Amino acid sequence: MRGTDDWAVLRALAKHKIAVAGIIILVCLVVMAVFAPWIAPCDPNEQDLYRVLEGPSREHLLGTDDVGRDLLSRVIYGSRVTLLIGVLSTLFAAIIGVMLGLVAGYKGGVLDMIIMRLTDTFMSMPVLIMVLVMVAAQGPGVRSVIVAITVFTWTGYARIVRGQAMLVRELPFVEAAQALGASGFRIMFRHLLPNIMAPIIVTASIALGGNIMLESAVSFLGLGVQPPTPTWGNELRIGYSYLEIVPLFSIAPGLMITLAVLAFNFIGDGLRDVYDPRIR
Amino acid sequence: MKQYVLKRIVYSLLILFLVSILIFLLGRVLPGDPVQSALISTRMGVVDQEVIDDLRAQFGLDKPLHQQYALWIRNFVRGDWGMSIAYREDVREMFMQRLPITMELFAGSVFWAAIIGFPFGIISALRRNTWLDASLTTGAVIGISIPVFWQGIVMIYLFAVVVHIFPPSGYVPFSENPWMNLLSVAMPTFILGTHSAGLISRYVRSSLLEVLGQDYIRTARAKGLTETAVLLRHAVKPALIPVITVIGLDWGYVVAGSFIVEYMFAIPGLGRMCMNAIFAGDFPVIQATLIMVAINIVAVNFMVDLLYGYLDPRVRVQ
Repeated sequence: MRGTDDWAVLRALAKHKIAVAGIIILVCLVVMAVFAPWIAPCDPNEQDLYRVLEGPSREHLLGTDDVGRDLLSRVIYGSRVTLLIGVLSTLFAAIIGVMLGLVAGYKGGVLDMIIMRLTDTFMSMPVLIMVLVMVAAQGPGVRSVIVAITVFTWTGYARIVRGQAMLVRELPFVEAAQALGASGFRIMFRHLLPNIMAPIIVTASIALGGNIMLESAVSFLGLGVQPPTPTWGNELRIGYSYLEIVPLFSIAPGLMITLAVLAFNFIGDGLRDVYDPRIR
Repeated sequence: MKQYVLKRIVYSLLILFLVSILIFLLGRVLPGDPVQSALISTRMGVVDQEVIDDLRAQFGLDKPLHQQYALWIRNFVRGDWGMSIAYREDVREMFMQRLPITMELFAGSVFWAAIIGFPFGIISALRRNTWLDASLTTGAVIGISIPVFWQGIVMIYLFAVVVHIFPPSGYVPFSENPWMNLLSVAMPTFILGTHSAGLISRYVRSSLLEVLGQDYIRTARAKGLTETAVLLRHAVKPALIPVITVIGLDWGYVVAGSFIVEYMFAIPGLGRMCMNAIFAGDFPVIQATLIMVAINIVAVNFMVDLLYGYLDPRVRVQ
C-alpha cells in the first residue's frame, strides 16, 4: 500500500474497462449537473397546463409531467440536488468514520472497544429504515436527509480504517515518529492516514452510489426533499402514479439513479482491483 | 465450539441491548409526543394541563429517561407492546397478523437469490475471462446497483402493464388461492432477491477461483479425477463457506427492501405497516417493528457466525 503513486493508479484505472465506463457515466452526470441551465431545453419549473402528461415530442424530448413541465429539463436539474446530497453525506460520513476508526485503531484499549461496539450497533440496523425514521423525525428537507444519511453510514469507514490503522501502526516508521516525540494526533493524521487512503477511497466511491440510492428512496417515499425542487426520487414518485399513461415519467429519472449508482460501483470495483490486484 | 457459541451469544445480546437504546432514543426525538397524538385521535381538543400531566404519567413520560427505558423493555418482554396511536389496536396483535406475509416475502427472496446467485457465480468462475464470465459479472454489478424501487417500476411496467402476466399490486393469501398467491409474490420476491443474487454470484466466483488455485485441487486433478468430480467433491464446498457471511451481511438490505416492495406492491405486511406508521408518526408501532427488525438481524448474523464456525474450524480459535 505504501508509496502508491496517484498517477500509476490512474493509469492502471484507465486500462480497467468497467472503471472507464463508470468514469464516463460519472463525467456526463457531473457535466449535466454543473451546466444544467445551459443544457436543459426549458425552465424546469415552467408549467403548461394545456400540455400535461404528454409522451415524447419534438419540443419535449421525454414528454411532460403532470403539470406540463418539461421532463427532460427536470431530470437534468434533478441531478443537482441528488448529486449534492450524495457528495455531502459521503464526505461527512467519511470524516466521522475515518476519525473514529483512526482513534480506535491507533489508541486501542477501551476506546477501541467502545467505538467498535458503537459501530456494530449502527451496523446491525438496516440503513434505509433508520434513515427513513430519522428524516421523518426531523421533518423533510435537504439538510435532514444529509444528516440522517451521515449518521447511519459512517460505520463502514470506521471499521476499515481501524483494521488498517492497526496494521500500519506496527510499522517501523510509526515507531520512529513516536521516538521523535510526535503527538498521537500528528501520527494519526500525518503518518497513518496517508497510508490508508486507498481503502477509504474505495469505500467512499461505493458509498456515494449507495447514498444516492438512499436519497432517492427517501424522496420516492415522499419523506425527502420536497417539491417543487426537482430530484430524481421526486420525479420517480410522481411519475409512478402515471406509470400506465406516461411510463417515461418514472422510468427516465429511475434510469438516471441506476446509472449513477452503477457508475460509482464500477469505479469502486476498478479502484479495488487496482489497489489490490490479488482478488482478480 | 462451546466457548465460541457462548461468546457469540453474549456478543449478540450486548448488541441487541445497545440497539434497543438507540431505538428508544430515536423514539424520543420523533415529533408528536404520544400524549398530543392520543388527545388528537380522541378528539379531546384543548384540555387542562392537569389532564395532560395525568396522561403523561399514564404513558410513563414523567419519569427519568432510564426508567422509561426500563419500563419499555420490561413491557416489551412481557408482550405488552403498547397501542397503536393511529389504529387504536394492540401493536403486538397487528405485528403478528402481518408477520406471515413478510416471512413469505423473505423466503421467496432467499429462493431467488440462491437459484440465481450460486449457478451464475459457479459458471462465471469456470468460464473465467470469457464473454460469458464478463456478461455474468457485469450482470451481477447491475443486480447489486439497481435500486429496488426502480426495478419495481420497470418490472411492473413490463410484466403487468405491457404484458399482463403478473398482477401490478396486491396480495392474495395462500389459503385463499395458492396459484394467485404465488403470482402475486413472484415479482416482489424476485426484486427483493436481486441484490443478494448479484452479491452471492460475485462472491462465489472469487472464492471458487481462490479454491481452484489451491494445491489440493491440483492433487485431485493429478490423481485422475474428472473435472466434475474435482468440482463437486473438493472445490464447491470450501468455496461456499465465505459466501455464508455475505448472505448474513446482506440481510439488512433485504429487510429494508421489503419495506419499499411492500409499499409499492400494496402488500399488507410488516414493511407497509411500519411505513404507514412512519408517515403517521405512530411511534409505538415504529419502535416495536424496529426492535423486531433488530432482533431478526442480530439472530440471522448469530446463526451465520455459528454456521461459519461449524464449517470452518479455524474461525472458532480467534
